[in-house]
Amino acid sequence: MIRLAMAVCAAALLTACNDQAAAPVAENAPPATATERPAPNPLNNAYFGDLHLHTRNSFDAYIFNVRASPDEAYAYAKGGTIKHAAGFDLKMNSGPLDFLAVTDHSEYLGVLPAINTEGDPYSKVPYAKELFSTDQVQVNTAFRKFADTLNVGKRMEEYSDLRTVKSAWHDIIESAKRNYEPGKFTTLVGYEYTSAPQGRNLHRNVIFATDAVPELPYTALESQNPEDLWRWMEQQRAQGIEALSIPHNANGSDGTMYERTMWNGKPIDRAWADLRARNEPLTEVTQVKGTSETHPLLSPNDEMAGFEIMEWYIGSPRPITKFDGGYVRKALKDGLEIEAKVGANPYKYGMVGSSDTHNAAGSYEENNYVSKVGIRDATPELRGSTPPVGKTWANYKPGDNVARFSTWGASGLTGVWAPENTREEIYAALRRKETFATSGPRIRVRFFAGYGIGSVALTSDEGVKNAYANGVPMGSDLIGKATGKPDFQVMAMRDANSAPLQRIQVVKGWLDATGKTQEKVFDVACSDGGSINPSTHRCADNGASVDIKTCAFSQDKGDAELSASWSDPEFDPKLNAFYYARVIENPTCRWSTWDAIRAGIDPNPDLEKTIQERAYSSPIWFIPTKAG
Amino acid sequence: MEVGGASRVTSFLRRAIREPLLHFFAIGLVLFVVNGLINGRDEGPPGEKVVISEGRVNQIAESFLLLSGRLPNRPELEVLVDDFVSEEIGYREAVAMGLDADDTIVRRRMRQKLEFLIEDGAASEAPTEAELQAWLDTNPSLYRLPERRAIRHVLANGDKRGAAAKADAETMLAKLRSGAEPTKIGDSSMLPAAMPLTTEEGVAAQFGAEFAASVFAQQQKDWFGPVPSPFGQHLVLVMNVEPGRSVPLAEVRDKVRADWIESRRNIARDEFHARMRKRYDIRIEWPEPWQGLPETPNPQPKTRPIPEVGE
Repeated sequence: MIRLAMAVCAAALLTACNDQAAAPVAENAPPATATERPAPNPLNNAYFGDLHLHTRNSFDAYIFNVRASPDEAYAYAKGGTIKHAAGFDLKMNSGPLDFLAVTDHSEYLGVLPAINTEGDPYSKVPYAKELFSTDQVQVNTAFRKFADTLNVGKRMEEYSDLRTVKSAWHDIIESAKRNYEPGKFTTLVGYEYTSAPQGRNLHRNVIFATDAVPELPYTALESQNPEDLWRWMEQQRAQGIEALSIPHNANGSDGTMYERTMWNGKPIDRAWADLRARNEPLTEVTQVKGTSETHPLLSPNDEMAGFEIMEWYIGSPRPITKFDGGYVRKALKDGLEIEAKVGANPYKYGMVGSSDTHNAAGSYEENNYVSKVGIRDATPELRGSTPPVGKTWANYKPGDNVARFSTWGASGLTGVWAPENTREEIYAALRRKETFATSGPRIRVRFFAGYGIGSVALTSDEGVKNAYANGVPMGSDLIGKATGKPDFQVMAMRDANSAPLQRIQVVKGWLDATGKTQEKVFDVACSDGGSINPSTHRCADNGASVDIKTCAFSQDKGDAELSASWSDPEFDPKLNAFYYARVIENPTCRWSTWDAIRAGIDPNPDLEKTIQERAYSSPIWFIPTKAG
Repeated sequence: MEVGGASRVTSFLRRAIREPLLHFFAIGLVLFVVNGLINGRDEGPPGEKVVISEGRVNQIAESFLLLSGRLPNRPELEVLVDDFVSEEIGYREAVAMGLDADDTIVRRRMRQKLEFLIEDGAASEAPTEAELQAWLDTNPSLYRLPERRAIRHVLANGDKRGAAAKADAETMLAKLRSGAEPTKIGDSSMLPAAMPLTTEEGVAAQFGAEFAASVFAQQQKDWFGPVPSPFGQHLVLVMNVEPGRSVPLAEVRDKVRADWIESRRNIARDEFHARMRKRYDIRIEWPEPWQGLPETPNPQPKTRPIPEVGE
């Protein structure tokens, strides 16, 4: 009994100390002077962030030697320095981001770290040693078990207790709570739903509105059918838990991301279109693994369509065979067609960009690029920007994976227009699709449409106020009027840390009078006082160039800001259409050219030496008024 | 109904988890058990006999009550007690076999418990005001707030004015200095016309690093410039400066207190380890490949094979 009494006393001491230690954490807010928030801007500010990022909790990131936690991911996004899987430092040159979602693979969440922890029950799985062995074949064979079960959507028995899923999910939520700084930095709780039937990529990021989220994520090991994910999201919504899902790497889906049929193979019906649109307002148009805006074969008349194109399956060196169904512009067009048939548009997507980094740290800058899969692509040689030691480009023949990595790029970011940087406002902007995507630079773009808004440019606050009051911003519907023509107002500003802008384009897609979809790209603003050729709708070349020996680019070409008031010369008030803005930078060096310069060699002759970074606004949909 | 019921239980559990009394009992239970196991049991010397005392059974019932909100019935309690018997026997056998000695988790946990006790002993006294002040005085950089400036600017747009932007800006500056209304001068832009108190980093994010550095280096009270940026030539008025400063204790007391406690714990732990080490003769047998290594090993990315699938 004496011992019991002592234990009680000790317990009293410990709980008392705990309270003492816990109290400051709860009140850990910095002093009032530092937290004073700027007033919300009714005309909205642009905020930049990444909605797609992996940490050590992802089964693949861990095997790539990534050990960075969600806390470290937030530290990097806030401008800090963290370690790469290969041991070197990672830090952004362009300053902190405004928001970040940590989106680890929900399938086998936290499982790999547990297998690699001595004494953990999971470390007893028969292939644990092989998984972390020094033999390449053994590692491949063991790791393939995970990839294979994802391809068929069946959970390995040994992880059915979901023990690590629960604990890692808890850690992810707690980290988001800890790192949220309203007014300064927003954290979003999310995860990646990793469905890839037969390897065809149907991955989605699920982003929650608040940090009060379900006990467990709904994963592709529950069902590979995204319709089931949306139904689960509907159930959550009914209980007050709001979320949206964002498909990514449609380019790696082999034509299955934006199909014209449902999971059961039947044509899309109205209920399905509504279900998808309700749960999936956004799509990821650019990331490290390439651009999903459009493909040269789908948009043969768009000479800028071949930007950072990636033509491989995700995670394996298998070439894509079908581009239709794998790119956003075509999906936006198909959406119009489906809407005409069934009365609802399943593909009414706003644009976001993200990194999908597995390093817990996005590579957004060409001159600061480390790609995204830990030690797999940590060196220029592994990503195909320098030849192996002792070889030259003359006798260079990359392996499949190196060839694949060489087509990846330094991208991307999501921009949102929101009155202030809080979780509520950032999420609300995502929901209403007042978003834009960039291939990495922090290019700002505003885009409005409306009747009679053509006279006041967006260059002044008055213009923006007028556009909001009398028009609609990106991501919205513009309801047609019986007479007249809508005006479009567009404006873009360069990233002070990147290059000047070359032009703004408007991409139009529409359903013609015969029910077929069409598309056309119009240049609407040219830099350097250039004029638009009225028959080709193209700006004159501004002559901007890059010295690929140094990556220095023309200082006197391009504009810091571009703006235009535009109306569609081919406007037909009877036809459904969408319009989105695409902002094009002057050419700059691609990351592979920077790698080569650092190595003191010529760039890989098979890769583009320069690229033109860009931003894509969410579309505005023109809805004709029904003839009365 | 079911949903409501489940959420009531969940919210009860959530409240229970935050409840200090529960912490109190839980820690008490852990200490009691550990103490009993280390110092011998209530039931006498180790042997084949396993006696589950009345107190222990009560305790098991009590912990059930804490988790479920009611006392267990007899069959439920039997299951729990039976499980405790297995735990007791399993524990004795495992220790007898020395399984605790080479188990990483057990070893780490034991070390943690030891350090926990040492650290808490160190941090059990609340810091005095003087101690907190002394901590703040010796670590001012940890709590320093960076300088912030509120600015407004007028832009001579480089796109529009080209080489003339600088001369135009000089003309604008003269007008501004003689009291002209800034909103009527210069070119409109997507840049904010004014920024509230902002750090240099925040200004750089929009205007570029070069502009931010010039603005933060400037002491001028009136309009000054032209200051170049990627957008053109700016005339700038610093409307307010909040100098970088070390904050008074009152503003950061909680953080200072947390850091002070943390530091006390660390010191106590380190001192404990240092003291203990004196009682041991430590010898490390470096394997051959490590004997000649330089102090900082070169991190080689390819330390182990990389699977060829996944991402």
